[in-house]
Amino acid sequence: MSGRYRVAMDIGGTFTDVVTYDRQDGVFAASKASTTPGNLSEGVLVGVDAVVERPADIAFLVHGTTQGLNAFLERRGVPVLLLGTAGVEDSYHIARGPRTRLYDLHYRKPVPLVPRRDIVGIGGRIAADGSELTPLDEEAVRKAARGAADNGYGAIAVAFLFSYKNPAHELRTREILLDELGADVTVSLSHEAAKEWREYERTSSAVVDAYTGPIVRRYLVDLEQRLTDRGVAVPLHVMQSSGGILTADSARRRPLQTLLSGPVGGAIACAELSGHTGRPNLIGIDMGGTSFDVSLIVDGEPDVSAEAQLEGLPMLMSVVNIHTVGAGGGSVAWVEAGGLRVGPRSAGARPGPACYGRGGDEPTVTDANLVLGRIDPDGFAGGQLTLDTTLAADAVEGLAEQFGLTTTAMAEGICDIANAKMAQAIRTITVARGIEPRDSALVAFGGAGPMHAAFLARELGIAETVVPRFPGAFSAWGMLQTQIRQDYTEPYFFLDEDLDGADMAATLARMEKTGVDSLSSEGVAEDQRTANHSVDVRYEAQEYTLTVPLTDAEEPSRPGFLTTLAERFAALHEARYGHANLGAPIELVTLRTAAIGQVARPAPQPWPAATSAEFPHQLCTVVFDGEPHESVVVRRDDLYVGHTFAGPAIVVEDTATTVVPPDHTVGVDDIGSLLIRRKDTK
Amino acid sequence: MTTTLDRVDIDPVTVEIIRNALTSAADDMNATLIRSAYTPIIYECGDCVVALLDADHQVLGQSAGLPIFLGNLETCTLATEERFGREVWQPGDVWILNDSYLGGTHLNDVTIFGPVFDDGTLIGFTASRAHWIDVGSKDPGGSMDSVTIFQEGLRLGPQKLVDGGEPVHGVIDTIGTNVRFPYPTTGDMNAMIACITMGEKRLQEIVRRFGLDTVEAARDEIFRQTELLERAVIEAIPDGVYDAEGVLDNDGIDLNTPIPIRLRITVSGDTIDLDVTESADQTVGPVNCGVAQAVSALRVGYKLLVSPDLPGNGGSFRSMTTQVREGSVLGARSPAACQWYFSHLGLLIDMVARALAPALPDSVAGASHGDSMIILTAGVDPRVGREFVSLEATVGGWGAWQGSDGESALINNVNGSLKDIPIEVHETRYPWRITEYRIREDSGGAGRWRGGNGVIREYEAQTDLSVSLWFERSRQPAWGLFGGEDAVGPEVVVNPGRPDERRLLKVNGLDLKAGDVVRCSTGGGGGYGDPVERSADDVRADVSDGNISAEAAMTRYGI
Repeated sequence: MSGRYRVAMDIGGTFTDVVTYDRQDGVFAASKASTTPGNLSEGVLVGVDAVVERPADIAFLVHGTTQGLNAFLERRGVPVLLLGTAGVEDSYHIARGPRTRLYDLHYRKPVPLVPRRDIVGIGGRIAADGSELTPLDEEAVRKAARGAADNGYGAIAVAFLFSYKNPAHELRTREILLDELGADVTVSLSHEAAKEWREYERTSSAVVDAYTGPIVRRYLVDLEQRLTDRGVAVPLHVMQSSGGILTADSARRRPLQTLLSGPVGGAIACAELSGHTGRPNLIGIDMGGTSFDVSLIVDGEPDVSAEAQLEGLPMLMSVVNIHTVGAGGGSVAWVEAGGLRVGPRSAGARPGPACYGRGGDEPTVTDANLVLGRIDPDGFAGGQLTLDTTLAADAVEGLAEQFGLTTTAMAEGICDIANAKMAQAIRTITVARGIEPRDSALVAFGGAGPMHAAFLARELGIAETVVPRFPGAFSAWGMLQTQIRQDYTEPYFFLDEDLDGADMAATLARMEKTGVDSLSSEGVAEDQRTANHSVDVRYEAQEYTLTVPLTDAEEPSRPGFLTTLAERFAALHEARYGHANLGAPIELVTLRTAAIGQVARPAPQPWPAATSAEFPHQLCTVVFDGEPHESVVVRRDDLYVGHTFAGPAIVVEDTATTVVPPDHTVGVDDIGSLLIRRKDTK
Repeated sequence: MTTTLDRVDIDPVTVEIIRNALTSAADDMNATLIRSAYTPIIYECGDCVVALLDADHQVLGQSAGLPIFLGNLETCTLATEERFGREVWQPGDVWILNDSYLGGTHLNDVTIFGPVFDDGTLIGFTASRAHWIDVGSKDPGGSMDSVTIFQEGLRLGPQKLVDGGEPVHGVIDTIGTNVRFPYPTTGDMNAMIACITMGEKRLQEIVRRFGLDTVEAARDEIFRQTELLERAVIEAIPDGVYDAEGVLDNDGIDLNTPIPIRLRITVSGDTIDLDVTESADQTVGPVNCGVAQAVSALRVGYKLLVSPDLPGNGGSFRSMTTQVREGSVLGARSPAACQWYFSHLGLLIDMVARALAPALPDSVAGASHGDSMIILTAGVDPRVGREFVSLEATVGGWGAWQGSDGESALINNVNGSLKDIPIEVHETRYPWRITEYRIREDSGGAGRWRGGNGVIREYEAQTDLSVSLWFERSRQPAWGLFGGEDAVGPEVVVNPGRPDERRLLKVNGLDLKAGDVVRCSTGGGGGYGDPVERSADDVRADVSDGNISAEAAMTRYGI
């Protein structure tokens, strides 16, 4: 058998998590390598070396790259020349003009990636119906190309009005640019980056693609070369923001799709857990040292949007919704007008919490947990960092004195406030989505998620908390559960009474063919290729759309389709917004096709059953509800299916610490997840 | 004198948990309203606000909401109580009100509110206000030229929408038959009821978890913290009298008479008084508002400078008093028309900054372009044979401040987070072609820090249709501060360069032919500091970026 291991790598800010699945033994393993910010490939290679002896044994390799995202966040992308429709090329800077902070006399918009001096208006106009009103000014394109050559642009973005209806001018512009500048120049066309209406959002998508594309490409080429040099014989796969994966070869052509792939693995892992355990609704919390992200699984599927924003700049693409709601363990406790506050400011990684011993002297949530005995000072972040309990206690004590509290009471107060705030943020996210937290289970991962999860569940009235195996590497595990996916969109704007079902079916059939054909270049066997279709629908005069799934490409041509569609839309509308208006006119806006290539996904590894009710453990003192409690401390690896025990307890493992308050019980399910339940619930 | 405020004797952890719970309850109300609202003006523009009040009508928590709705929801519960007595509050009741002279705004802004009981005790109120797209005024969506409130639609004093849990069908039917779009209206009404019900549930949960006594003690401590923070900022302002005068172009009916707005701010110790009694008498045209709304605008001006980042609550504005004259344009009496009640409120917000500029030079900013700059068009789209109505606000420039240029092409203060309509959406939906949309060079005031630029948006009619306009602030374009220059004001030209060229700013239902052009230019923001002090590099960058012309670089900056 060629290839024994399936390997996933999740590159974080500090650590690269690696999860491997050994097909021979059916066993998963997790490890950590330091992320190498200067050259991410290095960290990836170290990660690979850490888990497999012979790279040639790798049968499948997937990773989430942060290369493009980092370039964006640090504004290290390539200089971009933007060509827009003459007369309206300022649309990119006008940016539709909203103020997102309403009480701010000093409001500035998000800074665009291309300054106005690097934007050139090109004559030529396509009308709303796709017909040509004015021919493309080819000489203006040639002139801009020559200017570009002289001015050191690294990429050119082209975004003309109505190109989603008729891309002829954008396509011709690329021909001219390649002709003038040679085949190596990066050209991002807006209708390829995002085939949807709304010129500002589409232009922004093309600009981000141009700005980060060359960097992502360079990185992928370099990494693939190094992997090949080491003897890796299979193509590298890359996570997309949509939750699917692509070969690195395809990702190089669609770099935008990989931009927000980092935290998506966690949501995919939650969806997998949902399917395996039969819990349709999950709230995933991913808490690290400096971040706290929330994702939702509704009816077994990750909550997905068709539009994303990064630092206020929009991108039209399919993206798994990840809500960043707080600062994680680094949140600082401080005083304002005699009142106690926790966050939103974070001590970050440097200086970090006082207990890191890097010069921080303000008390943080991590310090408070340490003071309470809820963190093992020697086992933090897989033992990569030893925490200083004295420094933590000093910082907390300093604050406690200002309020006349004991250090312990202060520490617990900091945790209580942090937990209450995180729980409230989760509740508001679920309210906005029309979900009742009580109907969901909580899934806790990331290094600090399991430390707070049971408290958050209690605040939210959630009965059950799941802590999966390898909570610190859960996102990487999720990446092994993905499918190959290519998304296609087609603007299709019709009022229901004007719709031609046969035409819609024919359009979907074309999209399906394009998508399924593209899977062959992904190396997907013919019988493993499928396509899902859906259509964005809204009530007439509404702004927002809902994506309504279709059974197949042929569905629109069948009798009664409009009635079925209206009913399906109304049901979704009712669930999402709390009301619906069956019978009101609806508008179709965009057709969507996802071409899916099934890859062999390893089933979760069954966890061994306990041979006795006993398990090795120690006792130590941990503070809960103001009182020291004698608590069970157990290593995760010593717990097997069938073991149960009552809180208070601490479960330690290399990548995370799970805190179980009093009045909770813990069980272990068939794949080794910890199940924490409140005693007063079923 | 300085007020000393003693800490309430209560555990600080509990206070902070309750403080966050109350703010979060308001967030949940807002999320419920935005999620369930039917019309884009609520969920897209955020033209709404919610609040959680205690039994004494003090704000426990509120969403950031539309700034000019700030802190006047309690006027609705108070007015109801004054009219009907405190015993009028009964469990399971929901109330509605949109009377401009009580709520302060125009009739489109509807407030829905209700009492909250726990175990038979009145523990507070929840309230939401949102803009309804139509309330049955003489023209769809609202008129440019109404002269009495009776032309502006259905006017409701406080009355019950739900009585003891049962819908009051008579009132609901009356509303349905008086508005042009009953379905979306009922949809938004139900969203607002869902919103206040969410607030009721959250407040009950908080009181049941902590006990009413603890919640009240925490409330007092939360208010104390807010008051203390605000008083410290006021205390730092030198005592004295600070004046500002502004002017609206006209009331939309008599286009030749400007409407002066006068503001006198008196600071004494840690208190501040804002007096607008010397402003113009109420007008025939629809630029009047009720007292409550003038107070809101003054509070926004105050908050922008004093406490922009603090969540508002009953401790806010305790250091502040206001004087508004009944019968003035800011304290309108029946039957004054109120449709465009907000044009002078944007102005008033800018004026607070202008008045306090000498005292708070680092916090203030030059004036902004200042108003909605509305273009409303109607007709029949020949491509589909259907009627259409389009309504757009146009973005403009904002003022510069110490340390930064003002932003260009930004929505005005009173329109929340409104986005423009994309050209591709506009041309698909309406029989117009947008031939130009660009940043308007040289429209911002010159300065050490440059005012933001307005925009030019040019439309070409593809069929015969009609146009209404509401463009303001041309007599007094956005002013600069500390030597920064004033901005260029708005300008609308019909058929520029043709023999039938017309310039106008306000009009109701102007008929146009296919091929006619409307070129709308919005004003910029005021500059800050002497233009001569602007660095040559910045001026050259401005020329490269097309923010200023080469000529302006020479004449205004000497580069």
